[in-house]
Amino acid sequence: MVFNSYTFIAFFVILLGLHYLPLPWKFKKINLLWASYLFYALWNPPFILLLWLSTVVDFYAAKLISEEENPIKRKLLLMVSLVLNLGMLSYFKYGGFLLENFNLLMSSIGVSYQAAQPDIILPIGISFYTFVTLSYTLDIYRKKFPPEKSFLDFALFVTYFPHLVAGPIVRPENLLPQFKSPVQATKEQFMWGLFLLSLGLFMKVGIADGMVAETADFIFGLPCPVNPLDAWSAVLAFSAQIFCDFAGYSTCAIGVSLCLGITLPENFRFPYASIGFSDFWRRWHITLSTWLRDYLYIPLGGNRKGVSRTYVNLMITMLLGGLWHGASWNFVIWGGLHGIFLCLERLYKTHRKNQVTLEEASENTWSNFGLVLLTFIAINITWVFFRAHDFGKAMLMILSMFGVIPGAPKFVSTLDIYKIAFVTIGILAFHWFMRNSSLVQLAQKLKWWQMGLAWAFMLIVVILTQKSSGSFIYFQF
Amino acid sequence: MYKPTQYFKAGMLALALTVLFVIAWECYWRSNGFAISYNDDESLWAYARKQIYQSSPARPVIIGSSRIKFDLDLATWKSISGEEPIQLSLEGTNPRPLLADLARDTSFKGTVMIGVTEMLFFQPDHNHFEIQANKRIEKYPHWSLSEQESFRINRVLESNLVFLQENTFSANSLLKRLPIESRPGVFVFPNFPLKFAYTQLNRQTYLTDALVADTAIQAGVKDVWKKLAFNPIPATKGDTLTALIQSVKADIDKIKARGGDVVFIREPSGGPFREIEKSTYPRELYWDRLLKETETIGIHFEDYPETSNYTCPEWSHLAPADAKTYTQSLISIMEQKTGWKIKK
Repeated sequence: MVFNSYTFIAFFVILLGLHYLPLPWKFKKINLLWASYLFYALWNPPFILLLWLSTVVDFYAAKLISEEENPIKRKLLLMVSLVLNLGMLSYFKYGGFLLENFNLLMSSIGVSYQAAQPDIILPIGISFYTFVTLSYTLDIYRKKFPPEKSFLDFALFVTYFPHLVAGPIVRPENLLPQFKSPVQATKEQFMWGLFLLSLGLFMKVGIADGMVAETADFIFGLPCPVNPLDAWSAVLAFSAQIFCDFAGYSTCAIGVSLCLGITLPENFRFPYASIGFSDFWRRWHITLSTWLRDYLYIPLGGNRKGVSRTYVNLMITMLLGGLWHGASWNFVIWGGLHGIFLCLERLYKTHRKNQVTLEEASENTWSNFGLVLLTFIAINITWVFFRAHDFGKAMLMILSMFGVIPGAPKFVSTLDIYKIAFVTIGILAFHWFMRNSSLVQLAQKLKWWQMGLAWAFMLIVVILTQKSSGSFIYFQF
Repeated sequence: MYKPTQYFKAGMLALALTVLFVIAWECYWRSNGFAISYNDDESLWAYARKQIYQSSPARPVIIGSSRIKFDLDLATWKSISGEEPIQLSLEGTNPRPLLADLARDTSFKGTVMIGVTEMLFFQPDHNHFEIQANKRIEKYPHWSLSEQESFRINRVLESNLVFLQENTFSANSLLKRLPIESRPGVFVFPNFPLKFAYTQLNRQTYLTDALVADTAIQAGVKDVWKKLAFNPIPATKGDTLTALIQSVKADIDKIKARGGDVVFIREPSGGPFREIEKSTYPRELYWDRLLKETETIGIHFEDYPETSNYTCPEWSHLAPADAKTYTQSLISIMEQKTGWKIKK
């Protein structure tokens, strides 16, 4: 089920009705759990079994780990959880990719053997809930907190529908404590939740699907080179699409959850106003970047094992982070580019005599705006690899963007160029002015009728766009 | 100091403005003479596709382009045969991928009527006239339970609200009508007049009464045909055409081998459009060859006095009233040529 569907509206209204009935908290949690399974099953019912398997194994593996004193046995139990979770992820997400590369390797050394390509359907959201359950087991192994005693609370933590299929990637400490005592949204939280849901739908339906997706899909789907203006239009369109699609989903998720009285962590903080790539990863998909930092970069040694190891660790983290997004070399290249930019930035900052303080970096000066634009352009170049179906198409786009292929045809209409320019400038300006602020702060500055007008505008745009059930891009990850 | 109640007041204002806007928007389009029309999207197609397993000569599956979708009157057919055909045709689309989809589905053993518009049907594989067909074929197996429920709710809303027509009244469709000249060298698909056609829940599409009555609207559609069809892509010839017909034959043979049957239909067209079709796709080189090499029966509107005298108001589709009589005649001709039992 997707947030931008009539089914979800009906589902959510019924769920809210049940959640606010004067019933015991345990009943409400069971209700939320069943609702979450229903939310997931309405996409493809059999994959519920994987979710159950992951939930049951991690609940009991963590329990046994916490009870076990023998370090080897503890490690073995941890391995059970890791093998199951990462095994499922590898099979469903990377099975086809691994076989394809195996076939390529065989043919490159002259072996004619071709393994049959498996017809594997990727269970929606598997990358997200795998990371959720892994973080729990790893934290128990590290003795960060005692294991959860209630299976119901744990199952709800893993399955809670707002975050289940596309994040935010929640941590045990974010969510489990909220299930301990009855929660209901205050009137203010409830209305703010509805506002966030409207904003998320506006971003997804009104901007991503309504304004820019068509051009991005069309140009990236062409097998031929295109005019530089067309290539840049498509990349900028995708840049707006991926942000509005994914941040739109996270905003909906946070809003929906808040209406139920449960807070989810922030996932985006005006990322297109980033100065540099480390700033970008503090603002883009925050719950993934912190997950990678805590469970991959730091365990690898982080910056504690010397300068060169720091760069190696950064590259490993970003390459695997890229691969997490999808089973394709293009995602690895995308992650690699981010890794290289992060390394260069670190190198520059290390050797620069006059370090820029955080206060200086946060000022809205013209020089900072120039750096924001520079970062934005570099991010757009990385998006080419993220969006293109294969390396060849990505290179064709890069060459087209920089006018290397003369006489390439034009495809994008003037109207579409206007739309993309309008959306890009709008997003950049909004992110720039909001980069040191938050939506809550902005809402508090507005008069109630100003907020009401903005809210009505978003709802009207959603209704006018009339795209009711387009899938979110991050579902495929 | 900000008060929590501000959110509530803002929300109420937003709700009131949105409801007012929806009422005003709906009233505006209704007052301009527009009627209910359903979005002919992936869900509506999938809903029809689900029914193909009950197909028979009295309830054929129809694939083709817009002509058979406009000209074959499903209600008239139902009144004669007792059953409503399953309409899977897509406007502006080459129906061969739809035929291949039916041939691949081993559970399908029914009857297929294929509408042939030469400019679309004889396009080589993998061209952009297949995009809409391929989108629907790929979507169908993944049409989730959630999407099916959304479709059910959407059906109720679309049955009551005129403005819920994505191809006509969505923000994007309206923006495309802005008089913005495109840069030289860029092809922009021309806009059909707003009052061109409407679609029913069974995917029957009709020309609007306004179009039938108003020559200015007809001229608007003719302008679109002039831009699209009067500079046709060179016709497919040689080995490509041979391979194309062979692939059609292979698909038809698969359906026939399972006990199904197939008939080709060439619906009426007229005016300069018909002249261009005749010169670009001469009958003996395309239609006749298709029937001969696929060993399949075909009904061409020009071969029968009862179907050859229709006038298409905009050169390409029949008026709704004519679609009814054309369907009656077509059923009689089909029974006679195929030996199928269609009438009750």
